Amino acid sequence: MAQDSDLSKAADKGKGKAVDNARKADDVQKSGEDGQPAANGKKADEKADSSEDLSEEDQQLKNELDMLVERLTESDESLYKPALEAMKNFIKTSTSSMTAVPKPLKFLRPHYETLTKLYDDWPLGDHKTSLADVLSVIGMTFSDEDRQDTLKYRLLAPTQDISSWGHEYVRHLALEIGEVYGKRIAADESTAELVDLALVLVPQFLKSNAEADAVDLMSELEIIEELPKFVDADTYARVCLYMVSMVNLLTYPDNEQFLRVAHDIYKTYKQYTQAMVLSIRLNDMDLVYNDFNDATDPAVKKQLAFLIARQRIWLEHPRDTPDDDEIMDSLANIRLPEHFKSLGKELNILEPKTTEDIYKSHLESSRVAGMTNFDSARHNLAAAFVNGFVNAGFGNDKMMLVEKDKESWVWKTKDEGMMSTVASMGILLQWDVENALDQIDKYTYLEEEPIQAGAYLAIGIMNAGVRLDSEPALALLGDSDKLNHKNPLIRVASIMGLGLSYAGSNKEEILQHLLPIITDTTQEMRVSAMAALSCGLVFVGSSNPEVSEAIITTLLDEDRRGQLTDKWTRFLALGLGLLFFGRQEEVDVILETLKAVEHPMAKPTAVLAEICAWAGTGAVLKIQELLHICNEHMEESDEKKGDELLQSYAVLGIGLIAMGEDVGQEMVLRQFGHLMHYGEANIRRAVPLAMGLVSPSNPQMKVYDTLSRYSHDNDNEVALNAIFAMGLLGAGTNNARLAQLLRQLASYYHRDQESLFMVRIAQGLLHMGKGTLSLSPFHTDRQILSRVSAAGLMAVLVAMIDAKSFITSDSHYLLYFLVTAMHPRFLVTLDENLKPLTVNVRVGQAVDVVGQAGRPKTITGWQTQSTPVLLAYGERAELEDEEYISLSNTLEGLVILRKNPDWDSGKQ
Amino acid sequence: MGGGGQDGKDDKDKKKEKPKYEPPPRPTTRIGRKKKRAGGTSAAAKLPAVYPTSRCKLRLLRMQRIHDHLLLEEEYVENQERLRKAKAVKDSTAPTSELDVNSSDRMADERGRVDDMRGSPMGVGTLEEMIDDDHAIVSSTTGPEYYVSIMSFVDKDLLEPGASVLLHHKSVSIVGVLTDDTDPLVSVMKLDKAPTESYADIGGLEQQIQEVRESVELPLLHPELYEEMGIKPPKGVILYGAPGTGKTLLAKAVANQTSATFLRIVGSELIQKYLGDGPRLVRQLFQVAAENAPSIVFIDEIDAIGTKRYDSTSGGEREVQRTMLELLNQLDGFDDRGDVKVIMATNKIETLDPALIRPGRIDRKILFENPDQNTKRKIFTLHTSKMSLNTDVDLEEFIAQKDDLSGADIKAICSEAGLMALRERRMRVQMADFRAARERVLRTKQEGEPEGLYL
Repeated sequence: MAQDSDLSKAADKGKGKAVDNARKADDVQKSGEDGQPAANGKKADEKADSSEDLSEEDQQLKNELDMLVERLTESDESLYKPALEAMKNFIKTSTSSMTAVPKPLKFLRPHYETLTKLYDDWPLGDHKTSLADVLSVIGMTFSDEDRQDTLKYRLLAPTQDISSWGHEYVRHLALEIGEVYGKRIAADESTAELVDLALVLVPQFLKSNAEADAVDLMSELEIIEELPKFVDADTYARVCLYMVSMVNLLTYPDNEQFLRVAHDIYKTYKQYTQAMVLSIRLNDMDLVYNDFNDATDPAVKKQLAFLIARQRIWLEHPRDTPDDDEIMDSLANIRLPEHFKSLGKELNILEPKTTEDIYKSHLESSRVAGMTNFDSARHNLAAAFVNGFVNAGFGNDKMMLVEKDKESWVWKTKDEGMMSTVASMGILLQWDVENALDQIDKYTYLEEEPIQAGAYLAIGIMNAGVRLDSEPALALLGDSDKLNHKNPLIRVASIMGLGLSYAGSNKEEILQHLLPIITDTTQEMRVSAMAALSCGLVFVGSSNPEVSEAIITTLLDEDRRGQLTDKWTRFLALGLGLLFFGRQEEVDVILETLKAVEHPMAKPTAVLAEICAWAGTGAVLKIQELLHICNEHMEESDEKKGDELLQSYAVLGIGLIAMGEDVGQEMVLRQFGHLMHYGEANIRRAVPLAMGLVSPSNPQMKVYDTLSRYSHDNDNEVALNAIFAMGLLGAGTNNARLAQLLRQLASYYHRDQESLFMVRIAQGLLHMGKGTLSLSPFHTDRQILSRVSAAGLMAVLVAMIDAKSFITSDSHYLLYFLVTAMHPRFLVTLDENLKPLTVNVRVGQAVDVVGQAGRPKTITGWQTQSTPVLLAYGERAELEDEEYISLSNTLEGLVILRKNPDWDSGKQ
Repeated sequence: MGGGGQDGKDDKDKKKEKPKYEPPPRPTTRIGRKKKRAGGTSAAAKLPAVYPTSRCKLRLLRMQRIHDHLLLEEEYVENQERLRKAKAVKDSTAPTSELDVNSSDRMADERGRVDDMRGSPMGVGTLEEMIDDDHAIVSSTTGPEYYVSIMSFVDKDLLEPGASVLLHHKSVSIVGVLTDDTDPLVSVMKLDKAPTESYADIGGLEQQIQEVRESVELPLLHPELYEEMGIKPPKGVILYGAPGTGKTLLAKAVANQTSATFLRIVGSELIQKYLGDGPRLVRQLFQVAAENAPSIVFIDEIDAIGTKRYDSTSGGEREVQRTMLELLNQLDGFDDRGDVKVIMATNKIETLDPALIRPGRIDRKILFENPDQNTKRKIFTLHTSKMSLNTDVDLEEFIAQKDDLSGADIKAICSEAGLMALRERRMRVQMADFRAARERVLRTKQEGEPEGLYL
């Protein structure tokens, strides 16, 4: 038997399933739980004295089996049938401990060769197939010799009841089917019989709660699309869960196929929300549209509308009935500010916070207190940002929206600072467009141009994520006065505003306004690049040919050549990249085209396009390519200007690609350590940013520990980026330890204006929305990657790569690209008429329940709270009792509840 | 992780910025606080856990993904190291190699000076508390506590309350840290050389072997089997039964067979002279076990510390009980111990504290009985297999007799018989020797009460 020692046992743990098991069983068995001689250390011994030291029952069994075999070798055919039946009976009825091979199998094993010979000699007939049946089972004990006998004889015995041989046998058979299938495909032979057999096995698996085996077998044989036929109402949930969690690790086209199959199964069982989630993941608009229309129940439709709106897909719906009105409102996110404020009310945080509430400078180390220059313009600008982020969406504060205009904070800042300060009002009033327009209106009439610019930007910001029928953003920002204003700042602000408010909308009208600006060679690079970026945001992940053409033309344009080295060109490249966000292979066309461009900017652009295209896929091959890019060490010289960007983008790309999948997410953190260790300055600067990108709004200790180390780096730019990444990491979480680290940094850098500015921004981010918002681009149980959010994050990070020429100098308004990623991390429960409903929910840490036995709990360490509640990263909620049924499968965001008809309140 | 290649550039930068304000050295945030084990950076270096634990493709894929990433890391690091070497070669060929000699000289010189500063002999003390970045309170082994300064060359990240530190003999300032703080007693317990007894040397006891393997070895080797079934594997077993029935022998066989770290200790070793030493030893034992997981802890003669608790006025008695309480906590306490399995052995299970052997701490109680006829035969054959026996020897006679023989007794009979033969200078053991040997063994066993007295 498989006496190949404990060593190999441990080594080939991952090799296969049944092999492993059978071998282990053999192995364990040698120690003799069944009355073998004590001195059976060696294989030879065992055979020699196996007859002596068996206990009496064992001996009897062995004799009987020997006799049966004997009988088969004799010529009397009439005895064959009873003999075989008896043999089968022995095998089937033997029970054994899990550590040992069943005894009959063990005793029959020496006879295996005899029996196979017999089989070859016998004439065709019932006996022959019956013998094949037995041989197939005994063959299992030879699993490690690569013979696949189990399968061979199984195919020769076209039999009925496979499962009666036990679960281990079925599993073993499945393993051999997989192996043989691979061989036959390689040899180009027919596989039909294997497939048939597999289709017999699958229902067995599903019946015995082994959905993982069923899916594995089918995917091995490439017949996964047959799966829906076999699942039923009891099994589909587990099957789909298993399939969906595999998707991230599969390669194209398997992943897409899995998603589609799972989608179909969900659809069959009327799980519209889950089907919709998968449609969105597939990025298939037709499928989304169909799912949406197929749901007939208006309440379910509203729920789907919330989901679609969360992903910022602009879907049109006719407003015919009152229900339709509500559905359209849901699709347009109109009620978002209402729900958000009700959350604020519930949590008692409506009172605006001042910057001092955030800085808590009394907690900073005392020796620096009083030394900071309090009224500097930069300090005030930072305060404006912090104030904006902290009171985001609440519509009140103590600095900007004050009674007397002259007291407004705007006057305490200057130049571009004024623009950012006014624009912070956009964040304060976010989503609540109708109220906000009045408040901002007055600033558009002031003569200071930066203030005007800020006001336009604010209009764009507050429209981000909501959609009004009157389209105020397009009306106010899209007019040619502003887009052709003599002051480039106003042009940039309007363009940015358009991009922010229509992000993800695919709205063709925007093209009319922005395309000419991209191609217009008389424009400054800054304006054109911003226009390209806005187009990228609006058409994110759509691979819109018009826009990509326009951007490529600009890159190729002779007149522009001189401008391409401008620092703003990167946003032109990012715009192009965003167009292909998540499109994977489709980007290759663009990459080919870019190869033709000789300018040094072409290469970084290509990398940027590629990382965007593969964002969130976890594709290891792409990460490898990016690492190769990081391999070279750059000599600092002027002619290779673009190359440093190349590597920085590659580092960001590692984060962006890995963020979609848990294993990769953790593994790249290790990689970043190496990059930090070996990399040149340009790589080291990007590493903290990439770390922030991997886990936004998810303050993991190991990440911020590392970042806090980088925040004292010798290279000030590394430190700046690390500080910003710490803000990103804790965005909207109020994490106390991060807050403490940032306070320490504030006193450490109290004389360094730029670093201090960044610390303040990070503090603002940390307390974003008073701890109610999240920047994480993943939503709905971390299943869907929101392209719009990720695009916004990328825009800011690309700017941060060169923080000293953008954010800490005069283009700090680029920070506002974060608003596309800002979303409340709440759970609000509504009744079917979209009125808020208060129910008790349990909130706890999510548990990965894929492939676990039984019905494991999906959350752990929960607390019971009444809605609306906040959900932190990795947390999940479930309803406390069954009084209501949730129409959405994941309790996150806005969820509609329906009264459970079976609920009996007296039962409690 | 300061980049090595960074330094040159930084130097240039610094020269330029000399007059500018320079921030103070970075505050060491963590020193002086108790570090969480497996926290901080070492956690980042740990590989993610792979779920689900059952055998399926999803698990395989996740493992492969980790593998792929590790390959990438390896590739990157290799490339970088190669580049670095190439660069170093290029640099060293151009300028002089004297510099190298100089620098190595200087290194040796500096090291020597540091050693001078440390002085000799150095005292060993315990760090009690960090006051600020360069002062701390230490206590020396002789008793008094000192407020001392910390030398600048001491790695402050290693300092944590409770750490053993080296103290200058005169100024008592901290000049070094001793990192390994486990008791040498514990490291002795680790089994370096596996015992020679294997399962093959055990006669009978099939049931017991199977139970031990199921609850100790299998969970370490194939946790997925338990996960699939949806149960938690047992944490530990207790072996009990009359003396000489092979409890320790089985534990030796487990140690022989397993590739896990095997720690063995005798209950009486846990009783120490000083208050608190016993519990500390238990703690360290399990700490070592957890560090070397997967591991098996074997505590022989557990009744030395595990007896029922009762009101006692004797301090020693109470200390023993406290040691047991620590053991209780380690077995099933607040902290999860992970892959540590416990085997205990005793021949007085009825005296043990019920809390010690409740399910959850000890999930399986395995009884070792005196051998039945079959087993006796096996044990006899086992012990006589290497003896040269005369042809007249018929062991069936002893096997058939209804003596209450344990495994150890049988062994004693066999060796006694051998000794008898030796006394008479015979090369073969005869049946008569065996009979005499049996008489002697049985007589001594019955405490000098001759068997035939009342016959």
